Amino acid sequence: MMHRNPQIVLRLTHISKKYEIHHEKPTLVEKFVKRKNETFWALNDINITVHKGEKIGIIGRNGSGKTTILKIIAGISTPTNGVVQTVGRVVSLIDLAAGFHAELTGYQNIYLNGMLLGMLRGEIDEKIKDIIAFADLKQFIDAPLFTYSNGMTLRLGFAIAVHANPDILLLDENLSAGDNNFQQKSRNKLKEFFKQEKTIIVVTHNLDFVASTCTRVIHLRRGTVIHDGGLEVLKAYDPAWKK
Amino acid sequence: MKPRGVRHVWELLWGMTEKELRARYKHTIFGFLWLVANPALQMLIIGFVFPLFVQNPIDHYNYYLFTGLLAWNFFSLSLSKATPSIVFERNLIKKSIFPRFVIPCSITLSNAINYIAAFFLFLIPIIFLHTLTPASLIYFMSGLMMIFIFTIGASLLTSALNVKFRDVNFFVQAILLIWFYATPIVYSLSQIPPRLMWIWHFNPLTSAIQLMQAAVVGSAPPGSSMLTANIVTIALVTAIGVIVFNRESRYFDDWL
Repeated sequence: MMHRNPQIVLRLTHISKKYEIHHEKPTLVEKFVKRKNETFWALNDINITVHKGEKIGIIGRNGSGKTTILKIIAGISTPTNGVVQTVGRVVSLIDLAAGFHAELTGYQNIYLNGMLLGMLRGEIDEKIKDIIAFADLKQFIDAPLFTYSNGMTLRLGFAIAVHANPDILLLDENLSAGDNNFQQKSRNKLKEFFKQEKTIIVVTHNLDFVASTCTRVIHLRRGTVIHDGGLEVLKAYDPAWKK
Repeated sequence: MKPRGVRHVWELLWGMTEKELRARYKHTIFGFLWLVANPALQMLIIGFVFPLFVQNPIDHYNYYLFTGLLAWNFFSLSLSKATPSIVFERNLIKKSIFPRFVIPCSITLSNAINYIAAFFLFLIPIIFLHTLTPASLIYFMSGLMMIFIFTIGASLLTSALNVKFRDVNFFVQAILLIWFYATPIVYSLSQIPPRLMWIWHFNPLTSAIQLMQAAVVGSAPPGSSMLTANIVTIALVTAIGVIVFNRESRYFDDWL
């Protein structure tokens, strides 16, 4: 399924990311005394252009720069060199429980979290019923978040993120929130996204998942793109993988 | 970074401020009254001890003291809470892209709302003092603006620097202790020998608090040289705060 709509929604141009390795936090004195730092290039001259509606799987070993690339696309991290251009709302489903406040109720947290994801108050007003229904929190919605179980928090996080109407969705394949029932529900919701014209970028070790959902595969090794192409990249990445 | 609606930034700032206000007095019995109780206790103690040492007492000393203490508490609470705020709220930083300044600014804003509410309570006894004049409102508003802008600027600077250099938080705690005595809260500038006056020229809170005291008990407002020096310092600190925060905020994630 190639894309009739050629609109570019994401462009990474010569992206590099350097991390300083700090074994411990530097103090002010150390900063002025010793100037040289160990550095580590997590990404090296990455060039990726993504069109609207593409489903992309990013694969690679641990430490190949997969997470860094997602953070840079999400705008959470700033590249050392290069330019990131995105069109539309980018929502990451990586850290679902982040951004909640334990003392506030589920209801209040929906507003806070929704706004952090870029939603306007009016937008949340319209969707709050759906979000509560999707998260399946019932009477707990008026209880402070510290009374929630882990699963409930993740469910709420997931429900808010998918209702934020993302144009570009950043995913981690290890996404598991709640019980079987909710996992089924979230999988269905994601499938819905996969069918729509949404742009989805998945970071994963699960090659089967990529094969069944993605149209394009990017293989990263030590911060550089080794392969960028169709599903044949999977075979090149792991010859032992059969499908 | 893509431009975001101004409306969204305001809504987010307000949402975060609401969160601060809601979360602070949760599970406390007296809630908001703590805000007045704290400076009231300070006032009682200082109001008892200080006149024992100083011969020339200030008119309506307890009111004078309380005015300064309320404003000082706004400043010191905001700064000491905002400085480590980026580090404490690291899970927000890692969640999504949003203008980072809402984190320290929402703390200052929530403290400002608390402060204004406390001041309104304080206004009731002030009215019976019959010291309020038409100029009071102007004095108070100018003092409030000065201290508010300075707090925003200073907290942007310290919160941004604290991400890389965690010493900044300790430094702020230490400097606040000294700063209290370098601000005319328990004493009046008229008690300071002129050869030392330059110290207060560097302290932007001097004029701000003098203006508020002038509004409440009709003490002398700051002179023009003091006012100019303080305004210049406020502008400078705020400009540096905005620039540093802007530059550093892009790399917060690397250090958290």
